[in-house]
Amino acid sequence: MTRSSAAPAVPASTGRGVRIARMVLVVVGVALIGLGGWVLTETVSPTRYGGLLVWLMGAVLAHDAVIAPVVAGVALVVGRTGRRVRPAVLAIVQVGVVVGVVLSLVVVPEIVAKAEGTGNVTVLPFDYAARLGVAWLVVAVLTALAVVAWVVRARRREARRTA
Amino acid sequence: MRNARSATVLGRLLGLAFVVCLLTGLYSHFLQDPASWMRFPTSPVWLYQVTQGVHITAGIAAIPLLLGKLHAVFPQLFQHPPVRHPVQVLERASIALFIATSVLQLVTGLLNTYQWYPWPFPFREVHFALSFVIIGSLAVHIAVKLPLIARYWRARDSYDDEGRFVEPTGELDPARAEHEAVRELARMRREAPGEQPSTPAGAAPQPRGFVGRVTRWIDDARETEREPARARVSRRGFFGAVGASTVGVVALTAGQSFTPLEPLNAFGPRQRGLGPNDLPVNRTAAAAKVLETAMDPDWRLTIAHGERTMTFAAADLEAMVQGDERLPISCVEGWSQFAAWRGVRLVELMALVGAPADRSLRVTSLEEKGGYRVMLMGPEYATDPATLVALEVNGSRLDIEHGYPARMIAPGRPGVLQTKWLSLIEVI
Repeated sequence: MTRSSAAPAVPASTGRGVRIARMVLVVVGVALIGLGGWVLTETVSPTRYGGLLVWLMGAVLAHDAVIAPVVAGVALVVGRTGRRVRPAVLAIVQVGVVVGVVLSLVVVPEIVAKAEGTGNVTVLPFDYAARLGVAWLVVAVLTALAVVAWVVRARRREARRTA
Repeated sequence: MRNARSATVLGRLLGLAFVVCLLTGLYSHFLQDPASWMRFPTSPVWLYQVTQGVHITAGIAAIPLLLGKLHAVFPQLFQHPPVRHPVQVLERASIALFIATSVLQLVTGLLNTYQWYPWPFPFREVHFALSFVIIGSLAVHIAVKLPLIARYWRARDSYDDEGRFVEPTGELDPARAEHEAVRELARMRREAPGEQPSTPAGAAPQPRGFVGRVTRWIDDARETEREPARARVSRRGFFGAVGASTVGVVALTAGQSFTPLEPLNAFGPRQRGLGPNDLPVNRTAAAAKVLETAMDPDWRLTIAHGERTMTFAAADLEAMVQGDERLPISCVEGWSQFAAWRGVRLVELMALVGAPADRSLRVTSLEEKGGYRVMLMGPEYATDPATLVALEVNGSRLDIEHGYPARMIAPGRPGVLQTKWLSLIEVI
């Protein structure tokens, strides 16, 4: 990597092995990107490229402009209002919420796909909306139990210390 | 938790998941689209069931891992200035390419398991092409970050005795070094009382209000947590959330592919044992337009070897010696299920027309059209004694949805190649 007087562009290599590994990775990486591009042009009609590009950019926008800011905003609000709550309790609740949200991300498209209609009755056979509701309930109960268990243990620990 | 160690830990897991997806995906691709010289193992019979189950499961596990990874590095999207060096244009371009392709890959892969295709491009071809772009851009990204990854590979090199993250040197993280230099400059300027209150030329003015709050958040997110105990809790919370959600989505969906998780299958798109003959269905007889031809009493299976041609009515096949095999139906969409098949061993039919052992077969279905109407079968499957022209499954005659009057079932092949509603078998 370049060692100019200004700050380097990327992390500097720490030895010869690292330098060689980086070179190999870049060459292999660029070759694979090229291979993917070539496979695409060989197998997909050019009339589809526009739609694909829109979906690729949409994927980045959906994350960078919707999901991430919402998560950051929620974290900011919770961090402010949650100053009176113990950090560990906050962390446990956060685990529960994230589990519920990730499950929903996977299951909501399933609900929509089922509503759109399936090829036969063995595809998407369950009532996914009802099951998702139950899953949220279970997550909420487990989270509450974990919080209670943590608080009880913390109080005991403090009582022992003051005794 | 937004530090190079977290990024390394999550990156490792995500990289592993993507490489597993690539390898199992390539295996599935070449099973369906082999080069002429390729031969595949027919044993163990559950090989494809496992590789494809792993493919789908690793893909689902990658969803929370990718979200966690992106969350850990999100503030770096807004680094200021956006580009300090020409090499960085390429670095940031490779990251943009990686994020775009990997998010799209996971979305289309997941929806494909639901058989829902709301996009304006072909799934299979794009999923295949993008897999190389993902691994390629990942390799470039790893190359850029390699010194940092090596520095924070082990936990004990990453945190001090009190659990405080050990910051990288400026050489290892130039963006961070510059960020700190700018901060330090601002602090010095604030503390210098004789300084003019107006903003000096060249320095960015401190934005106020909402924008100011957001920029401060981006700045603070790069700062080290001052209290080690609080930092540890936040770190554990973060990894707990990523870990629990990964375990959660895998446990509640993978029962469609893996027996131990069957009782937990709450959200899988398929349920084992559900369907005609206690078996799920992919392509139906109605969709294949074989409702009449398959039920025709004049149906015949033709087997051709050059000039030698034999035809079999359903009753002829039923009268032959029957073989029993327990083989899985393993769908490319991830679900799979073992079933008890009974039918005529393919090797015996081949012997009747005097087919040599090293020949491939072209197998044609009653289907009028469709990508899998004609199936090529390599000699490794054609000569395997477990391969059946199946007439029964799970103790009763094949349902029309499962290929009545006769279907192919061979060990270790994707379900789309287990041709239903057989019509013609040619030795080629």
